[in-house]
Amino acid sequence: MKDLDTNIQALLTGIRNAMGVPALLLFSAMTGFGSLAQEQGLSLYISILSTILIWGMPGQVVHVELYGLGAPLIAVVLGVAGANARFMPMTLSMMPILADSPHNRKWNYLFAHFISINTWAEMLHRGKEIRADRKVSYFLGFSITCMIAGVIGVFQGYVLFENMPKMISLCLIFLVPIYFGLIMSNTIHPPYLLAFVLGCLLGAPMHFITPEWGLVLSGIIAGTMAFLLRKWLEGLRNNKAGND
Amino acid sequence: MIEYSEWIFFISAIFATYVWRFAGVMISHRLEANHPIFEWFTCLAYGIIASLIARTLIIPSGLMAEVPLWHRMIPMIFAFIGFYIFGKRLLVGIVFGETVFILLFVFQ
Repeated sequence: MKDLDTNIQALLTGIRNAMGVPALLLFSAMTGFGSLAQEQGLSLYISILSTILIWGMPGQVVHVELYGLGAPLIAVVLGVAGANARFMPMTLSMMPILADSPHNRKWNYLFAHFISINTWAEMLHRGKEIRADRKVSYFLGFSITCMIAGVIGVFQGYVLFENMPKMISLCLIFLVPIYFGLIMSNTIHPPYLLAFVLGCLLGAPMHFITPEWGLVLSGIIAGTMAFLLRKWLEGLRNNKAGND
Repeated sequence: MIEYSEWIFFISAIFATYVWRFAGVMISHRLEANHPIFEWFTCLAYGIIASLIARTLIIPSGLMAEVPLWHRMIPMIFAFIGFYIFGKRLLVGIVFGETVFILLFVFQ
């Protein structure tokens, strides 16, 4: 990454890098959420606030769907917690990237709110290239741009989705699995790749066993197996390199 | 009364999400930066996100549920082919996937 001499420069670079595919993605994903919220009778205010304050689409969807069904409060809480539990490992694994930044640690509790798959993947891939004292500005520029794109998406989905041609709506919805599938598979670290592949295989079957906690359960199985096999994967890779 | 309960549900959903982020920060502050738990939890994050992708693709809700499964799987395979053959460029993968998706939809 280019030298980021000032925080403003880092902020603007973050904004610039988010503009384009990451922002478009949040926009289209949240378009889908906006239309769902409208269908389920959630008010526009809460739909927009949901994107800003929850900032985790699977949990937002569960909240809207269960609320629409008239489910009890405890079901909504557990459902949302299950759908958004990924933020715990994501936050935990992103924190070391900010560890050499000079800001007060307490701010991490605020910064953690801005983490999404997008920003997490961005910081994991590029975080080490950014100067320690510019990481926070870059992260905030990138994340807040994504969030604004998401809010615009909710608004347009809520207000316009029904009038949009079906083909365009479908293409916007389909963008989400393509984008996340590509960025998540694009890792050179073998255990992460194995965790990704196992997660893909387990995701659907585990959903039928327990819809609320299927994601967490399959993620824990896939991630832990990949972690335990990391030494073996490393050996496999070294052997291959040796034979070439 | 109905609006009142709408807010209670909403605020509970906010907390049910933030509590995970809070826990992530809190635990990370109590560990050395090179602790193996960080690698393990990164693996968990990859696993959970992968499950989420598979679920949205295989068991979608709403409009996408009307599209047959193979209409979603084949474009996804093409997106990966485009991405990995042409220098890992996101836009190429997305264009490949979406084009095949539109073609299948039009010529079904």
